[in-house]
Amino acid sequence: MKAHRISGGLIDRTKPLTFSFNHERYQGFEGDTLASALVANGIKLVGRSFKYHRPRGIFSAGSEEPNALFQIGHEAHQEPNCRGTVTELYDGLEATSQNHLGFLSHDLLAVNDLLSPFLSAGFYYKTFMWPKSFWEKLYEPVIRSAAGLGALSKRPDPDVYDKGYLHCDLLVIGAGPAGLWAAVNAARAGAQVIIADEDFLPGGRLNSERLEVDGMPGAAWASKIAEELQAQDNVRFMTRTTVFGTYDHGIYGALERKTDHLLDSGGKPRQVLWRIYSKRSLLCTGAIERPIAFGNNDRPGIMLAGAARTYLNRYAAVPGQSVAVFTNNDDGWQTAFDFAEAGIEVKAVIDTRSDCRKIAPEGAMPFYGDQVIDTKGRKGVNLSLLKSGAGVECDFLAVSGGWNPALHLTCHQRGKPQWNDAINAFIPSSDLPRGMSVAGAANGYLTLAAALEEANRVALSATEDLGFKPKPTPVPTASDEAYEGAPFWYVADSKSRAFVDLQNDVTSKDIALAHQEGFRSVEHLKRYTTMGMATDQGKTSNILGLAISAHYTGKTIPETGTTIFRPPYTPVPIGAFAGRSRGKDFRPARLTPSHQWASKNGASFVETGLWLRAEWYVKPGEKGWRDSVDREAKAVREGVGICDVTTLGKIDIQGRNAGTFLDKVYTNTFSTLAVGKVRYGLMLREDGHAMDDGTTARLGETHFVMTTTTANAVLVYRHLEFCRQCLFPDLDVHLISTTEEWAQFAVAGPKSRALLEKIADNPADLSNEAFPFMACGEIAICGGLNARLFRISFSGELAYEIAVPRRYGHALFDRLIKDGKAFGAVPYGTEALNVLRIEKGHATANEICGQVGAQALGLGKMLSSKKDFIGKTLGKRPGIAETDLRLAGFRPLDRNRILTAGAHFISNGQPVSLENDEGWMTSVAYSPGLGYSIGLGFIKNGDERVGEIVTAFDAVRDNSMDVEIVSPHFVDPEGERLRG
Amino acid sequence: MAKAPLKAISPLNGYRKSFGKTKLEEVSGLSIVSLAIPQRGKTKLSDALKTAFGVAVPAPGKTLSMTSESGLLIGLQSDLVFALFTKDMPDPVGFVGGKIGDTAYLTRQSDGWCALRLSGPLTFGALERLSQVDLSPKSFPVGAVARTAMEHLNVIAIREDKEAFLLLSASSSAPSFLHAVETSVQYVL
Repeated sequence: MKAHRISGGLIDRTKPLTFSFNHERYQGFEGDTLASALVANGIKLVGRSFKYHRPRGIFSAGSEEPNALFQIGHEAHQEPNCRGTVTELYDGLEATSQNHLGFLSHDLLAVNDLLSPFLSAGFYYKTFMWPKSFWEKLYEPVIRSAAGLGALSKRPDPDVYDKGYLHCDLLVIGAGPAGLWAAVNAARAGAQVIIADEDFLPGGRLNSERLEVDGMPGAAWASKIAEELQAQDNVRFMTRTTVFGTYDHGIYGALERKTDHLLDSGGKPRQVLWRIYSKRSLLCTGAIERPIAFGNNDRPGIMLAGAARTYLNRYAAVPGQSVAVFTNNDDGWQTAFDFAEAGIEVKAVIDTRSDCRKIAPEGAMPFYGDQVIDTKGRKGVNLSLLKSGAGVECDFLAVSGGWNPALHLTCHQRGKPQWNDAINAFIPSSDLPRGMSVAGAANGYLTLAAALEEANRVALSATEDLGFKPKPTPVPTASDEAYEGAPFWYVADSKSRAFVDLQNDVTSKDIALAHQEGFRSVEHLKRYTTMGMATDQGKTSNILGLAISAHYTGKTIPETGTTIFRPPYTPVPIGAFAGRSRGKDFRPARLTPSHQWASKNGASFVETGLWLRAEWYVKPGEKGWRDSVDREAKAVREGVGICDVTTLGKIDIQGRNAGTFLDKVYTNTFSTLAVGKVRYGLMLREDGHAMDDGTTARLGETHFVMTTTTANAVLVYRHLEFCRQCLFPDLDVHLISTTEEWAQFAVAGPKSRALLEKIADNPADLSNEAFPFMACGEIAICGGLNARLFRISFSGELAYEIAVPRRYGHALFDRLIKDGKAFGAVPYGTEALNVLRIEKGHATANEICGQVGAQALGLGKMLSSKKDFIGKTLGKRPGIAETDLRLAGFRPLDRNRILTAGAHFISNGQPVSLENDEGWMTSVAYSPGLGYSIGLGFIKNGDERVGEIVTAFDAVRDNSMDVEIVSPHFVDPEGERLRG
Repeated sequence: MAKAPLKAISPLNGYRKSFGKTKLEEVSGLSIVSLAIPQRGKTKLSDALKTAFGVAVPAPGKTLSMTSESGLLIGLQSDLVFALFTKDMPDPVGFVGGKIGDTAYLTRQSDGWCALRLSGPLTFGALERLSQVDLSPKSFPVGAVARTAMEHLNVIAIREDKEAFLLLSASSSAPSFLHAVETSVQYVL
């Protein structure tokens, strides 16, 4: 048997690597890809096709690969659809083939191939229609298990991913000859350069060809330039990095494969998703070879001609021992020459051009003006049949239909490629993303000398454009290789299926069928046949498909047009997009100053936005959350409770015009508020709906502190900044958040005054006369600490809120509980807070829900008629100002029933319908004081219907019941307690 | 009888850790006051600051080291400056107010911020995983300041030295902030 690995190449033979394919062990070398290692081990059959389960081999040597998809890794690390052509080999790599039932060599689902006459494009649109119920239960599961591209582990991904941000003057995409030369020119001029390439070895096609640059082998020249770039401080050289998307303002998305080439990532991110901010970009992505469609052109052993040279020259891996080449261009011939030079038998060169006069390598038979119409060999090609009637026995057939510039990234902002007759391919149009230039083969300069010349010119221009003064440098000497060709897309005389899109099993007949059935636009063609979808996105098939479609429509290819490309250029794992944002790291957590204390004292926490708040504190013997909440609420009503209310937004408002400013943003007046006083305020949106409420204290003539609800803290701050900067720029008013600065605790209950007096340093006069309801001021506590004290109440009890610098919050909470023991002090959480405020009839986000104005909330009197304020005009609209909805209280007629929020009110005796909907329940709680469930809600004319019985209809939870309309103030309607 | 004073705790309990030659540590004992510049009052404030601290109002994005105190004036926006002192003051607003009078509206900010100092060779690599701002020395030299976001958290980043940054983020989310920075350092270690 002849060797599949020859001398030479760019692999490191001192570093052998062991890997497995379908559980068989093989050896490769550092510098191999999985595909090259398989080629070097004589493996041809690597997978099965998507639909027909036909045997498939390695078709390309790059990211355009449609066939050689593997599952890499095992158990939770397993990743499907990895292209072996870009999977860097490492010691211990485990690869398995995809998409077969049973052994790869004896796939039971290969029966599909026999059924192919029934499985043409769009067959599933026309079949499996009856009976309807079978689709989800039978047809779809069976189809899905038979088709598809690999399988997920269905376990959480154990790898970690990260993201990051990079900045540069010039982003060079692609480190082939054009990219390297452009980057080094820009770097020498002083520009900050990022050069990225999806390969692990810089050089692009120079690593695959036997070309010379500046008198040295191309790969050596590439290595020298790469070394120079890597040594520069102003250059970031990123190998294993695919720039996958072009976005606005010179921003690019890139995926760097950090540890994919290692067996163990060592806990480091497997991949990093970079957002690259560039002032200019230069696309040097080269070109992708396209095949020719002919009968049975998908057998293992049939490969793109350029890829064959890559395996031979770069990896010293021999894909076949008796070689034939089928081409329509001069570049295809180079494959024959390279193989012959390497001592491998070249049987024939079949060129579609009858006027071709190239001389075949010794021993090879030239066939000019001929075509391959069919091949034989079930699991690997062994015979090529020609149109002329000749047959060529070969175990390897290299195919070249010409080259397409890899212009995908030029299309990501709707750029439309334009046809170029000289190279029979689309090239980038002038409608490029802002700041982008294209050079080299990506711009249609398919030969080496031309590509270097073009890169030099474009780099110079971009660098000068950036304000640098590059020194003219002689362009490296290189020759232009032969590349001329004549357009030839598919062999019309083939009787067998000619595959256009190998990944999706789309044949030339499928395209004919699409045309016959009216799917003639390129967009329809793509979606009807699935051509150009999945992991390769049609990199080798699109132009072929367009050309065949053009044939049927009688148009030229440019007249037929092309679909354009979207990000990503190559697949990006969802995990990379998520980065670190998984599990508990999905978003940050905000902790209250008493969090540590609460954690140690039985608190259960609830997420309120980013905050974690104690919802209740469990005491020994309590059997459920209601036990804890009832106990806490009763303790506040009877003694004193402490609740951490730091989460409420606190905004410091200062300036000569601060009072005027507040008059404009609140419905009621604040400019007249006395220093040392607090006032409740209501804020409307511009459209007149209630936006937020809270108290604002005046600490000085030019100094206020506003309190917002927890939920709206950011919203209100943003609103105030908009008002300050955009609506009232002439006012001298300044804002800064102090939510984080102050630890603030509600001290509520009839014993709250006594508790505060106990922690005050000096005998503090907190009497009604000295410190009445809605007073504020400073108080010295706990040995000299100045605290802010506000006499405000959300619970309806005698209550205060005390604020200290956050660093003392933990200690103060502890002190209040300890010193409060004599008064029965308890910590209480958000649930008890909610019970207390519902008992008192205070609105919160459930009521200030964005759907109602001040009138519905019963706060119509707060709309000042003496001044203008935001929301005043639109708040006068009938739907808001003249609404008959009113906030009311509710209790179940059967006191044992539990109310549910969201229930809708229907007048008794009326049928349940939208027309009879009179309002809805906004908040409910069990009142431990009253001993039954209570609720707040909006109902038509609620303030005039106290005592009426209505139905609370809750279809969602099937909990409808009769309820009585009552005052929303279940506790202390006259406010005697809070003023007590 | 004098009441026992309350014990202060810092947001990260004095966290300090080394990753090779790179250090990540909480900086506690800072005093911070925000100075809002009254309309048409910048010149007056600048004069007062020069007299009090030896430096004028810094432009947004710049910091200036005080000459009379150990601290920085941090230019955050056209009408907002932070004064950051490296010593703990019980009443920093009173201190600054005593120096500059009513030439600015002052607000206490000492407890609103958790401060982390990241220094050493991994600093830049760790921060480029977190911040969208170009923190390279050319664009962000020593003394530069920027408001940025790191893992959804607001951060004020100050370049103290070639390989040292002071990072201020909200106190309440300090553990999340530390986790974000620490993770970055570990990832680039």
